[in-house]
Amino acid sequence: MTSKLDNLFDYVQERCLWQFASRTWDRTENIEGVLGQVGALLKKQKPVAETPAARLHLADARVLVNDCRQRYDWVDAIPAQEVDLVLAGLKERLLDVTITRSKNRELNHSLY
Amino acid sequence: MPMVLLKCDKDIPEREKHIYLKAPDEDTNAHLPLSNAATIPGTLSERGCAFCGAKLVIGGVVKDAIQMIHGPIGCAYDTWHTKRYPSDNGHFQMKYVWSTDMKESHIVFGGEKRLAKSIHEAFDEMPEVKRMFVYTTCPTALIGDDIKAVAKKVMEERPDVDIFTVECPGFSGVSQSKGHHVLNIGWIDEKVGTLEPKITSPYTMNFIGDFNIQGDTQLLQTYWDRLGIQVIAHFTGNANYDDLRGMHRAQLSVVNCARSSGYIANELKKRYAIPRLDIDSWGFNYMAEGIRKIGTFFGIEDKAEELIADEYAKWKPKLDWYKERLAGTKMAIWTGGPRLWHWTKSVEDDLAVQVVAMSSKFGHEEDFEKVIARGREGTYYIDDGNELEFFEIIDLVKPDVIFTGGRVGEIVKKLHIPYVNGHAYHNGPYMGFEGFVNLARDMYNAVNNPLLKLAATDPRGERKVAFLEAAE
Repeated sequence: MTSKLDNLFDYVQERCLWQFASRTWDRTENIEGVLGQVGALLKKQKPVAETPAARLHLADARVLVNDCRQRYDWVDAIPAQEVDLVLAGLKERLLDVTITRSKNRELNHSLY
Repeated sequence: MPMVLLKCDKDIPEREKHIYLKAPDEDTNAHLPLSNAATIPGTLSERGCAFCGAKLVIGGVVKDAIQMIHGPIGCAYDTWHTKRYPSDNGHFQMKYVWSTDMKESHIVFGGEKRLAKSIHEAFDEMPEVKRMFVYTTCPTALIGDDIKAVAKKVMEERPDVDIFTVECPGFSGVSQSKGHHVLNIGWIDEKVGTLEPKITSPYTMNFIGDFNIQGDTQLLQTYWDRLGIQVIAHFTGNANYDDLRGMHRAQLSVVNCARSSGYIANELKKRYAIPRLDIDSWGFNYMAEGIRKIGTFFGIEDKAEELIADEYAKWKPKLDWYKERLAGTKMAIWTGGPRLWHWTKSVEDDLAVQVVAMSSKFGHEEDFEKVIARGREGTYYIDDGNELEFFEIIDLVKPDVIFTGGRVGEIVKKLHIPYVNGHAYHNGPYMGFEGFVNLARDMYNAVNNPLLKLAATDPRGERKVAFLEAAE
């Protein structure tokens, strides 16, 4: 599981602008929203995207999943239970790196 | 690897907090250059002023508005015509420059009457133009001229005109970045929502943070037209003043330059629930990814794939021709901020070029998080680099080509190192598929230009050219 988590973390760090949004609440919302859609796609469920924000997270998630499918053999074969574990670990690590331990001094300004 | 104190900075050791050399397995939690901080006394900064950030970068791009600079004539000249952003109305905003031309007596006795007179004169001279930006500058801010009050009075006297005021004197921030911020927030506070746009498509978006440098906006617009997406407002490439008042009606905000324009996208999300999609518009892989995301958002994935396939068929062979010849080229990027993270992977993935040093004039720590996460190990990441640091970094990394602006470009040319204008481009546009081929072509031509070697040779054979004499 660790190597799968590492794969996804490295991909997100290298490719995904949504993790580096302007403020803590934007980063949290993006990480949770996109990974939620990633989970549905990896589990081959029909994604629910009824709001504009959910449609945006789905758009980001679909590119992530398609790219990772090409990069990593395990993506197509991962069991549903493991998807939840991997994504929970990924969410924890992303929140830690981009928010909790971030050295960005602007993350918690109350205004944009 | 710790932060780096260069030899030239031995007398200003505070600079160590601004220069990072990425080591294996380090992330942005280990080290992050201090940025968006005041320039350290003793360093020869390459930054511009806050007023420049508002006027030259964003406001001055708008194609159908008079840009009235309330200050000495130099503030107007130095923020006019140096960045090539054309428009489809005959380049009105590049042909003309307006200033209140403040002199000593106006500073002593106040400039508000002169500003009112200048505004009326400009509208009288150009009766077909009904929109205006008015900017304060350092001296007129210091003497307390109330440009909002003057603009309000003019609008009462001329009900058919609309004026937007930007109170952002050069000294109001540490760099251009403050001007971006002030204009973004001022525009959404005062102008967005004051005009209802005509909706012509079921798919509507704002395209934010693209300034039509050498036609970027116009090139990308061909993609949106093919997808049937109505761009309500481009912020601000090739933009009409009134289109920008209707930004609140878009379904999606697509953001390219997050540094100059992320503020208005964030506010549109907060105030109008318009989601913000950040994309990279430079590079094949990135551009395709951005189009795919937009296609998914609107449920037009097939059209998006068709567009990408068409563009790849047309331009990818040309890109690959340059990739074959540019592979292994060492590139330095010394620009404003976002182009560091937009370009570092795109030139690596699409052109096999290695970015060995990057310097940002006005990037914030968010920009360094992005670029360090994407960038190579063994690359220097510099905030607010100064001239002597550039000399030392060049010696350390020996770049084959440097993408930077006109000012730093002059230094680069004197060192006879290939240079491409990374701000205003050499021969753009550089965005989109066709644009990235243009970038590759300009890089190839720069690297292989024999004139640089000839320029470094003294035909008299009497003395060797002193490359680094300026640093000695």
